[in-house]
Amino acid sequence: MSTSLQMNDGNRVSDPRAFVTGLGRGAAGALLFGVPMLMTMELWELGFYIERYRLLILLTANIPLLVSLADRVGFERTGTLAEACRDATIAYALGIVMSTAILVLFGDIKPGMPISEIVGKVAIQAVPASIGALLGRSQLGESNDDQDEHKDGNRDEEAVTDHLSTRYIQELFLMGVGALFLNLNVAPTEEIILISFKMTPWHALATILVSIAIMHAFVYAVAFQGSHEVPEGTPWWHAFFRFTLPGYIVAMAISLYVLWTFGRLDDVGPTQVLMSAIVLSFPGAIGAAAARLIL
Amino acid sequence: MTEISRRPHSEKPDPHWVEWATGIVSAVLVVAMLGWVGYEALTDKDGPPEFRITITGIAPVSGGHRVEFDIANRATRTAATVNVRGEILDGSRTAEDAEVVIDYVPAQSKSSGALIFREDPGRHEILIRAVGYSDP
Repeated sequence: MSTSLQMNDGNRVSDPRAFVTGLGRGAAGALLFGVPMLMTMELWELGFYIERYRLLILLTANIPLLVSLADRVGFERTGTLAEACRDATIAYALGIVMSTAILVLFGDIKPGMPISEIVGKVAIQAVPASIGALLGRSQLGESNDDQDEHKDGNRDEEAVTDHLSTRYIQELFLMGVGALFLNLNVAPTEEIILISFKMTPWHALATILVSIAIMHAFVYAVAFQGSHEVPEGTPWWHAFFRFTLPGYIVAMAISLYVLWTFGRLDDVGPTQVLMSAIVLSFPGAIGAAAARLIL
Repeated sequence: MTEISRRPHSEKPDPHWVEWATGIVSAVLVVAMLGWVGYEALTDKDGPPEFRITITGIAPVSGGHRVEFDIANRATRTAATVNVRGEILDGSRTAEDAEVVIDYVPAQSKSSGALIFREDPGRHEILIRAVGYSDP
């Protein structure tokens, strides 16, 4: 990825082929991360009945999210804000193009449909697909990064320390992105509210505790690659209080936002709101923990 | 992948106070949530769904008259596939009836729907009631 994105940094001559490769990776990412949602009936339906102002908020909120992600995730190591904006725009456009293409392929968009329905369907799919495009460009571009390191290992190292230092806010932001991503996958389905209806408060209590435990175990106990190591002599609950609990609250807030966006909270009593948020925070917590490892 | 293993993580031995403050606020929120759900768990009476239906509007539409209604469930249990039947009463005789199925009426929450009658219900009494539901 970095080859195509560093075109403008002066050290490299602009290479259209590298740029096309970058676009290809983005498109692959949009597909990889977007397909589960492109094949979810409820999301198609949401495309025409979602209240337009909620859709607008989601689409607008996606812009700073993509820019921050482009800036911070790290595939753009020498990036400036302008470059992050450019990458975010490309990712958003890729998300829109891929969503449209796949929806047309599935016969979900046909000529003669009202334009607002088509736009709504594409718009709602473009959000997860654009996040996928951005992640795909960083995650699928690994082999290329390795090659780059031979060429400019020093600059790389330097950029990693001052640009990628995982500051606290950034860590919480990444958890939010991870939670949002998994939430968008499952939130539109009827199963989320159905599960919350089937659960008793005892089940909900257990779900909260299990979600938090999984989150903590994912990052600290199970030593995946990228696992965070707590410095020697620090009690386990330090990381638990500083990262896992705030992460769960972030996942919870994202769950509430996504449920509200999809109209699942309208006219629903406070206890039921909490129950569905607890259910949705379960995948959200896994997504948040995974984001800390992967991104 | 290589940059991940080299990446400095933020588990520093001397964290900023903001990290602790966030941690404490989060802990308070989680405990409050556990408390709320725990309270619900302990006081849950688990009564069967109880419906209250209120008519919110009557308007002429093509092919008849639309009667919109809200259906509230005051109990702590959710009802699924709620069958709602509306009748226009002409004296003691039913002049017309219509039926609709509401997917879910969540506990302590409200759903809404509409029935469409051919006849103008304005001059007669309308009776809307839930005639059945299933457990989710």
